[in-house]
Amino acid sequence: MVKFERVAGPFQGPTGGLAWDGSGMLFTAIAEGRILRYDPRSGKANELRKYTNRTNGIAFGPDGALYGCQENSRRVVRFAADGSTSTTGYLLDGCYHNHPNNLAVDSKGRIWFSDPKSELRASGPQIFPPLDHASVLRLEIDPFRKLWSLRRMTFDTVAPRAVALSPDESVLYVAETDNAPMGKRELRAYPVLPDDTLGAHTVLHAFGRDHRGEHRGIEGMCVDDEGRIVGCAGWRKSGPGPLVYVFAGSGAVVESHPLPFDQPMNCAFGDAGLYVTTAGGELWRGR
Amino acid sequence: MLDTDMTRPGFERLVSAQAPLARIHHGMSFGEGPLWNRREEAFYWVDIVGDAIYRWKPGVGAEVFIRPSTKANGLTFDREGRLCVAGWASRSVWRVERDGSVATLASHYHGKRINSPNDIVVRSDGSIYFTDSPGALYNVGMAAEDVQQYLDFQGVFRISPDGARVDAVVTDTVYPNGLAFTPDESVLYVNDTRLGEIRAYDVTPDGGCGPMRLFHKLAGDEPGIADGMKVDVEGNVYCTGPGGIHVIGADGKLLGRIRIPDHCTNMAWGDADWRSLYITTYSSVFRTRVNVPGVAVW
Repeated sequence: MVKFERVAGPFQGPTGGLAWDGSGMLFTAIAEGRILRYDPRSGKANELRKYTNRTNGIAFGPDGALYGCQENSRRVVRFAADGSTSTTGYLLDGCYHNHPNNLAVDSKGRIWFSDPKSELRASGPQIFPPLDHASVLRLEIDPFRKLWSLRRMTFDTVAPRAVALSPDESVLYVAETDNAPMGKRELRAYPVLPDDTLGAHTVLHAFGRDHRGEHRGIEGMCVDDEGRIVGCAGWRKSGPGPLVYVFAGSGAVVESHPLPFDQPMNCAFGDAGLYVTTAGGELWRGR
Repeated sequence: MLDTDMTRPGFERLVSAQAPLARIHHGMSFGEGPLWNRREEAFYWVDIVGDAIYRWKPGVGAEVFIRPSTKANGLTFDREGRLCVAGWASRSVWRVERDGSVATLASHYHGKRINSPNDIVVRSDGSIYFTDSPGALYNVGMAAEDVQQYLDFQGVFRISPDGARVDAVVTDTVYPNGLAFTPDESVLYVNDTRLGEIRAYDVTPDGGCGPMRLFHKLAGDEPGIADGMKVDVEGNVYCTGPGGIHVIGADGKLLGRIRIPDHCTNMAWGDADWRSLYITTYSSVFRTRVNVPGVAVW
């Protein structure tokens, strides 16, 4: 039985993406516009970066830089070690993409991110309409000219949220999560084909609904060393409640862990267990 | 014909409803930085998203003056007629020298990079005041190279006449934007986009600013925000806001609004008598005439 304890928070608004830096857990306090770092040795969470303009999902790239989904600025940014922040590619076929939510960086440094539409009002004048689709996009840098390019990878999503790659990077997992009435909430597996496109997806898991409402789908997920998918889903108002699911690559639910808090947001492994962020703005650790 | 509303007695003396509203340029993403050059008899402005500074002459038309412009925003002339630029995405204030080169006048404060200069005004002693809102760090389509905010405030800075000092003169604004002096330069008006208000600060003998007084709270719920702001020679304040341009008396009370058929961003006095009002919007430049001249630039 995994035992969860709260190790930081609550902060204002939800906590979101996480990234383990080798000795501490980075996590975003989305509405506060901050990235914090929890140090398991001291038991304290310190501010690592501020003015992040609703950065949600974060992940380290092979270059050592931290990349983040800056929801309110509709772009993926690169937080460099010197304290500066730069943009990546934000135009897809000449148009500004939507509100990036979660991301995964592969071994080649390519950034796969979900780009759902959002009720959020992005910063600045409202002169750039959203795209006519909500997809998983991929950023790739030209190593010679240092220019980012952006490419659409999924063509059948309407509300992509969590993204993760299998350890061998042959499968992209996407949580299609629309918690509105009759919205789809599915965990999907897309094979990465030899021509560098995605094949038809299989549904590994689908969430239901009952008279109390929709069962909340996967908000955040990660993949463990054995290739199992660890997803945060559920809420107290309907369904089996807030849970961490562990899925085999086939979609078989091999474990589920009820959570002592509502609406888990995202999760990542650190050396001392699984860390989970929450809609209530906390950081929990299970071991 | 001008479309006006919310008018009070005294408004018609400043703005005639019979005045024409002519669109002299269109096709931009985000017009801003209007500025009249009396000696050239030319009008300058910027397209922030389009990354260009334009120049227009009556009877001739528009041409690109500088492109790329590091997403230049507010423009003005210093006492020698050099173009001074609130360099939004360059995160600096820069000046075009006589030989065409560019000099950086301000980029850091106490060793930290400033936010993103938004609008700019020169006082008659040669000091330069600029607002430093963080829009180029966050706004879609307007990004600086480094989008990290380092300062813990969004204020107004003053560059001393000799250029040696950059001082923070206002630090209590949330999103400072347009700024203008009263005709006698004893009071600095700063509008705050986020709060939807115009603030007044007495200018101290050393060029600093005294405590904040609320001068005016903008009325209306149409699209439009506190953005550009200018003052006429009688001290009436013209400020963008919901629906178009709000004309406010020196007593801080709304006299009336000039409705503009696009999201209005800024305005500038122009033509030889300084009685034309050049108005930038997201997509266009409009020109109209008013009865009381504006405070001249250079």
